[in-house]
Amino acid sequence: MNEHAIESIRRVRIAWPLAALCALQTPLCPAASPAMRDAATHEQLAEQWSKTQQDDPMKLLPAAQGKDPAGKPPQDLLSQSDILSFGGMATLVPKHAILLIPKAMAERTRFAAGSTLLGWAEFYARNRGWITTVEVSREQAEGLEPLAADVSKRFSDAPNLVVATYQGGPISVLPPKAPRPATATLTENTKP
Amino acid sequence: MNSHLLRIALLLSAVCTLASAQTAAYTNFVRQIQSPSGVQWDASVAATGEQLSPLPVDSAGSRFELWTVLASPLTSYLLDTSYVGAYIPVAFVTLHSEDPYGPILRTRADRPFSVVIAVSGLLSGTTVPVSSKSVNIFHYVQSYGVGGTGVNLDRSQATLLTQASIAQNGTQTFSYAVTSVPGADRSKVRGEERFSVFTLADYQAPVTQIASSYIQIWPVADGSLTGLTQGQLIRFSLPQVTVTLNDLYPSSTSYVQVYPGNPQLGTVGKTVPGSVLVINDSVPQSRVLTLKGYDALFDNDGLWTMELLTVTPFGTDRLAYVSFNVDRTIKIISNLTTDE
Repeated sequence: MNEHAIESIRRVRIAWPLAALCALQTPLCPAASPAMRDAATHEQLAEQWSKTQQDDPMKLLPAAQGKDPAGKPPQDLLSQSDILSFGGMATLVPKHAILLIPKAMAERTRFAAGSTLLGWAEFYARNRGWITTVEVSREQAEGLEPLAADVSKRFSDAPNLVVATYQGGPISVLPPKAPRPATATLTENTKP
Repeated sequence: MNSHLLRIALLLSAVCTLASAQTAAYTNFVRQIQSPSGVQWDASVAATGEQLSPLPVDSAGSRFELWTVLASPLTSYLLDTSYVGAYIPVAFVTLHSEDPYGPILRTRADRPFSVVIAVSGLLSGTTVPVSSKSVNIFHYVQSYGVGGTGVNLDRSQATLLTQASIAQNGTQTFSYAVTSVPGADRSKVRGEERFSVFTLADYQAPVTQIASSYIQIWPVADGSLTGLTQGQLIRFSLPQVTVTLNDLYPSSTSYVQVYPGNPQLGTVGKTVPGSVLVINDSVPQSRVLTLKGYDALFDNDGLWTMELLTVTPFGTDRLAYVSFNVDRTIKIISNLTTDE
């Protein structure tokens, strides 16, 4: 790579991000940044850091009351998903979206190293031969209603892997819940 | 319900904008998570554009999560979340840095960044629920540790740095000159800063995160040139030089150059063959290079300077330099004597 090429990279990489950020954050951008500088040292940054701590812009707003609500944020998508993998392609579907895994296809629910990850729509379009989808309702997905009897019966001898979908997108299907006991309802116009 | 669908459309539009920044190595997924049931729906989306979510928002709301997944090694990164509910304000958290890389926003320990928080749907009045009157912003920082890359990071261990309350609709911008990620050596911190917006709890719903986004912070690179010493006199061939590069920014081009004279920042010299190193990765890299057989660059005797430079989205940084004298002229001193 010659000097001209390096200079081109330098110009292209600096040009728009600096301009974009400066357009939003004028106070942050020195008017004339040096074209080249020595790498920042701990001492220089410690001084800036100290100032940043003192001038934290969020401290200008009223302080929030109460304790940290963060709890445990979502850790990773993989632990919330099942994997479908075949022919060098793979995709992720929500846990409990796979309703049936025939024994012969158990291997296809493990990620094969080197596979290309695809979104569901693209993966399904290329693997219709061994995947069957079953459209479920919102109530069925929440476990409030059972799957249709004929659908459940079809599973018993289905050669294909079965995925629950809602409007074409994979959806988790929760275990059926016990029907809610009847509860009294209040009416506003009840008279004593 | 129509208004909810409209809100979802706006949200998906926003996340799809982010998704458009994906590179070939990453695949994006949008998940709609219903509350309180926990049902998850995979909202397949194109890289750009917008769409209505056909899955209606549940009684306590729905959370939308934008993930990007790297196939090798198989790793997922949460890019953005948004929460939609009947009585819940809407918030967006957008971070800006000088590095245009996506889908995971990043910057360097010595560079500025900013966060824009837009809140709408806040109400006022004595009859509206508490959760509709204001939202809380929380700023968390978390170190990846020495050499860490954030993979399998337990984010529940993040440190809460600041918290504030917003009671008015509109946009707030917060600018930071440098990172606050913890670390003894401020030039070598690596980690992430996260900004999250939460609702207040009321009788209808618990505290709920309605938006969150984060930026990765990578260390400042350092390097050395060994094999040449300051002021060294070179009489014959140039010695072999070992170039050590540590924590090179994930998007950087590093090289060694030489030029006649004393060291002076901004001087454009001749690039030493074999010294150019291009890094295009998602995490910092370290390398060791060996330079030899570069004598042809020195066309004159005298004082020369060798510099190690790295070019990043933030500009050009000099990591190391050394000056030395080249004196390869052969002087023959002799006497000519005649004898009759």
